[in-house]
Amino acid sequence: MPLWLLATIVVVGLAAVALLTHLLGWSRARAFVDEAEAMRAWDREFSADPARRADLLPGGHAAVVHSVRGTGLVWTMGLDSTARPLEGARLQQTRRGLTIRFPDMAAPSVTLPLDPSERDDWHRRLQETLT
Amino acid sequence: MTDVSYPDVVTLAVPLFVAAILAEIVWIAVRGRDGHAGRYETRDALTSLLMGTGNVVSGLLLGFIAWGFFMMLWQITPLDLGTAWWVVVLCFVLDDLRYYWVHRFGHRIRWVWASHVNHHSSQHYNLTTALRQTWTGTFTFMMIVRAPLILLGFHPAMVLFVGGLNLIYQFWIHTEAIGRLPRWVEAVMNTPSHHRVHHGRNARYLDANYAGVFIVWDKLFGTFVAEDDREKVDYGLVHNLGTFNPLRVAFHEWVAIFRDVTRPGLTLRQRLMYAVAPPGWSHDGSRETSDQIKARHRAAPPGDAEGPGLARP
Repeated sequence: MPLWLLATIVVVGLAAVALLTHLLGWSRARAFVDEAEAMRAWDREFSADPARRADLLPGGHAAVVHSVRGTGLVWTMGLDSTARPLEGARLQQTRRGLTIRFPDMAAPSVTLPLDPSERDDWHRRLQETLT
Repeated sequence: MTDVSYPDVVTLAVPLFVAAILAEIVWIAVRGRDGHAGRYETRDALTSLLMGTGNVVSGLLLGFIAWGFFMMLWQITPLDLGTAWWVVVLCFVLDDLRYYWVHRFGHRIRWVWASHVNHHSSQHYNLTTALRQTWTGTFTFMMIVRAPLILLGFHPAMVLFVGGLNLIYQFWIHTEAIGRLPRWVEAVMNTPSHHRVHHGRNARYLDANYAGVFIVWDKLFGTFVAEDDREKVDYGLVHNLGTFNPLRVAFHEWVAIFRDVTRPGLTLRQRLMYAVAPPGWSHDGSRETSDQIKARHRAAPPGDAEGPGLARP
């Protein structure tokens, strides 16, 4: 098969999958409905260090989790979720909210969309867990 | 024999891959997303397809290394089995055995896992997951496991041809749209049910069902675990990725190995173990290997501690 034809099929295929899944509503981001769901999502990642309490962020796309061993963040990834301990993370306020950078190439950063009023509060609360 | 050539079957199958993915999307949309037909997510699917595209590109750029190695072996071997149809069939079966062991090494040796991890990094299990392939396979040096085939007299072009057929076979088993197949098929062949188990991050499903085409290898070597209807497969990695960036998907474990190996204060043996020990090994016990995860689940309350996949080694 000529390379140009292969490349055309790949590009058209990628575009078709993106368009079709988006039109079907499969690109909508998940949100945790409550703290219990966020804690279950944490436990799914760190079953050896179960969550004891979770503070859901506005919008429900992330939660700060207090586990047996420390504090972490669980957040939605598309329709799914992931989580990381906050140890070694850095915080940065941005126009959209608060960006958390992890020392992990597999989960480099997550931006939490927050209003300016919420941003300061959550920055302070997260900073306290890191110190 | 010098002018042996076979078609590039994987490239020829690309239109089929695209059509099947679109058909699966339509099927899931028609059947309803909460059913058992499967799930898609736009960014996840695009990442998988870009990983597949990158795999083809890396093959074009680096394929000459493996090909050169195979041709060198072909020059030194005194054996030549020819190209009869039964030789191709025999080559296919033996190459599937080769695939089993390479795949098993890919889950048990971190250096090889660094290349293979991206295939397991989706939390979805659909036909795009099949195409979420490595960009860095050349650097695992697993081409060495193909050496015996060539030294036995199978031409390198034939070995790569049957390897391509093996890859194509494995495409269609990456789906939740197919439940279980007739008993004789499930007994002999790798099927969607068996391979769903392989992609599971549940303790009982870790490090199981390495087969490519014939599931009999897992049954022979003691790594077979049947899909348990009481425990739905949870897809992805033990610690799932927090990115859809294909570059990070492709290279994150290599970077993690580098960071671990260059940590201050480790012995030479510990540095080596971070590269070649099973994924999850750590010098201070701060992480868990799959064996340790299974052991922890065995220690859990009765009911969750027994059954296939959690038996004591």
